[in-house]
Parts: sequence; structure tokens; C-alpha cells
Amino acid sequence: MASKIMASTVRRTLPHIRPLSTAAGISIKGVKISGRPLYLDMQATSPVDPRVLDAMLPYFISQYGNPHSRTHLYGWESDQAVEAARAQVASLIHASPKEIIFTSGATESNNISVKGVMRFYNENKKHVITTQTEHKCVLDSCRHLQQQGFDVTYLPVKPDGLIDLNELRNSIRSDTGLVSVMAVNNEIGVIQPMEEIGRICMEFGVPFHTDAAQALGKIRVDVNKWNVSLMSLSGHKVYGPKGVGALYMRRRPRIRVEPQMNGGGQERGVRSGTVATPLVVGMGAACEIAMKEMEYDAKRVVKLKDRLLNGIRTRLDGVMVNGSMERRYAGNLNLSFAYVEGESLLMGLKEVAVSTGSACTSASLEPSYVLRALGVDDDMAHTSVRFGIGRFTTEEEVDKVVELTVNQVKKLREMSPLYEMVKEGIDYKSVQWAQH
Amino acid sequence: MATAVPPPSRKQILTLFRSFLRSSRQFSDYNIREYTKRRTIDAFHHNKTLTNPSSVAAAFADGNNQLQVAKRQALVYHMYSPEVKSIMEIKC
Repeated sequence: MASKIMASTVRRTLPHIRPLSTAAGISIKGVKISGRPLYLDMQATSPVDPRVLDAMLPYFISQYGNPHSRTHLYGWESDQAVEAARAQVASLIHASPKEIIFTSGATESNNISVKGVMRFYNENKKHVITTQTEHKCVLDSCRHLQQQGFDVTYLPVKPDGLIDLNELRNSIRSDTGLVSVMAVNNEIGVIQPMEEIGRICMEFGVPFHTDAAQALGKIRVDVNKWNVSLMSLSGHKVYGPKGVGALYMRRRPRIRVEPQMNGGGQERGVRSGTVATPLVVGMGAACEIAMKEMEYDAKRVVKLKDRLLNGIRTRLDGVMVNGSMERRYAGNLNLSFAYVEGESLLMGLKEVAVSTGSACTSASLEPSYVLRALGVDDDMAHTSVRFGIGRFTTEEEVDKVVELTVNQVKKLREMSPLYEMVKEGIDYKSVQWAQH
Repeated sequence: MATAVPPPSRKQILTLFRSFLRSSRQFSDYNIREYTKRRTIDAFHHNKTLTNPSSVAAAFADGNNQLQVAKRQALVYHMYSPEVKSIMEIKC
């Protein structure tokens, strides 16, 4: 009863937040938008679920102890919370809580896996196999290893984004220390054949590491079915807080790593440093919610993806989906629009928060390395847009995105001389451009 | 197991449902508001077919806990809601 009175008092004293119409809008970096954009960039990060925030707040407010303090209540309750979160994360991937190490994110987990494993088994294992479409942190760690004298094989991918299992099999050598293949690609959403890769790795006795940051909570992740020895997990891709992640390290057969963070020996010596209790509790809560909601979310995401794709395809031609349509996580839709320039498309889509597959938005003009590995033409790679659909996306948002995208693409194509040529039936690739 | 918790009456379930919808309307964030509303309706619809009294009681207890979470968070979201609303709320 007291809380009800307090709640209504708070609501009355705080300024009334629901504007009927606002001409103010937002002006930032020279761009004016009338309101907060629709968020369709779920692969970059996901909003924190209110249930996760609810689980985290007590550990910021009153239960703020260091979980490694052994002598008082604050430490004990913090430790209890961390262990409960550990169990929640473990049950989502069908592992044991003893096999979960909390880190600061999937990037750190990837670093520990790639560099830590190879440096530990340094004497006789000198070779790493990975793919060309891996996340930047895995590729950068491999490059770092190459500079230290290790051999790295970067497996190419087929045009649908999947690796060729025979190529993987043929690349394995007697001194291969690690195979690292990400489960769900963050740019194109393609799901690699994890069980088959796991079987090949088990056959040759090579440890299998996977970056499952995008896969967690979205598709069924089972460390035993996939036969992984190491798995990187991220908190902020499953509607949890940013700044936390986990690393799964198999105990039977035991995989060992050289720690990248030295210190007091926390987290079984693999990752020293105070475990951030609120963040870890948030990740645990997010994993528990994901386990309960996975089926509901998956069905919904497929429905929304179909609505988005069909909505765009019925009104536009020249729309290509990058990556395999069959082996794909539905919430990641990477589309290329022909005869449209990516940068100008984005400028017209300021009311939708999406990401591009090209690095136009960064300093260099090179298209994304993932799309290049798929064999996508440079001009199509430059116009790729990644739509991310998640738990909180609504049908109305998808309809609005379809409308905005179609309008902008049509507008740009009206102005495009290349599109005029295509409509007249001229194949612009065969044109001999005159030089002045 | 000692005395089993009596399963909730139809009236209690409807009250819980209405409280949830009321709570969802108080979220200042467009996406969370829509999600809470949609999820409540779908969850109650899905659990409509439960017959076993202990699972009905368990679902009701879980629903009550979730309602408390929703009420708290609606307040927190209200306290920290951004000045400019989502485009969905401005245009339509």
C-alpha cells in the first residue's frame, strides 16, 4: 500500500513526460530527427530487458559487496548471486556451472580462447584454423599469433556464407591446435553447420572454439551436441547489460588456457579481477529469460522477418539477401539494393537505426570483409543494409521501416542514371565508358 | 508437500490480467509497453488450457511475481524516460 502511494506521488511530482506533439526533436552531429529512431540494429546490441534491470538493481543499491570478500555478509550474498548467475548461464548452453568463466565480454573471451589456448599448447601445436567471416577480434587475435610465428589458415566461405566441410577436413594438420568458427555470423546471420564441424574436430582430436555471442538465446546452443571445447558468450546480445560476457571451458576432456589477465586468481585463475556482480547477475537473468522465451521470440522474429522481406520485395525489385536463406537466424536480415548507393541510402534512413555491411560509415571506403568473402560484387556490397529484429520489435515498426526503405530506394533510383540504363535494357557492365 | 496452494479463482486470474495490462500502459518506452501488453495477452492465452491445479497455481504465482517486477520497472522507466519520444509515438 505504501509503495502505491509512493508510486503515485513520484508520478505526480515528476514532469509529465508524454508529449502530445513536439516540434523539438533531436539535433545531433548536424542531423535533425523528430524523435528517437526505430531500433533495428539488434546485432550491434540489444536493449536491456526490464526484468534484467530489475534483477540487477539491488546489487547497485544495497548488495554491493565484492563477491571475493569471504569475511562478511556483503561478500557472501554477492558470491551467492554470482554463483546463481553462473548456473543460469550454464543451463542455457547445457553445460555445468563449473565450466563457466565470467569475462568482460565476448571479445575478451575470444582473446582468451584463441591466444590463451595456442600459447598454452605452444610446444607442439602451431596451427590455427578459422574462417574469413569471423568477428574482428578473432581475426585480430589470429593475426597477432601469426606475428609470433604461428600458422593460421583462413577458410574461405561459399557464396551462401557457409564453410566447406571438406576444406576444413583437408586443412587440419597434425599440429593444429584450434579450430575457431563462429556459430551465427553477426553481419549476415548465417548459421554454420556446428554439429558437423564438431564431429570433424572430435575425429581429429582438435579443440573446437566457437563465438556464440549472436547465437545465445536465439538458437538452441548445446555444448555437447556441438562438441565445443570453448565458447564465447556476450551479455548485451541477449538483452543483458554491456560489459559482461562468459567463456565456456570444457572440463571433460579438459582444455587449458594461458590466462590473459593475471592477478589474484579469480575465476579459476583464468580471468583475474573482481567479478562485476550486478553485470553478472544481469547476464544470468537475461539467460534465464532467454531460455523461457526462446520459442516465443523465435516464432515472432520469423513472422516479422517475413513481413519485412515480403513488404520490401513486393514493392521493389533488385533486392538481394546476403547469405544463405535456409541456414540463417531470422532476426538478422542483410539486404543489398541494386543501383543504389549505400551512404545516400543511410542518409535517408535517419529515422531507422540500422547498420550497413560496408565500411562507408568508417574512414576507409572498403566494403565489409564478410561480404567480400561471400563474393558479393563491390557495388552490391556498398549498398548492403543489415536489419536486426528482436524481442521488442513491433509489427508497426516493421511496416514503417518497409515504407521508409522503399521510399528512399525508389527516390534514389529515380535519380540514378544506371537504373535508367537498366530499365532500357542496357547491360551497364558491357558499356565501354568513353574517356575524355 | 504439505497443504497444496489452492488454485486461483477465475476472478483472481482476470484481476491479475487487468493489472498487467494497466501496468503495461504505464511504461514510458514504446517498445517495452507494446511488448508487455502483447506478452501478457499471449501468455494468458497460452496458459488458458492448463488443467492441473498445481501448475495453474504455479503459473499464477509466477504471474504475480512478474507483475511486481513490471510495476517496479514501470516506475524506473518513467523516472528515466528520455525527453523526446520514439518516432512511432510522434507520427502516428
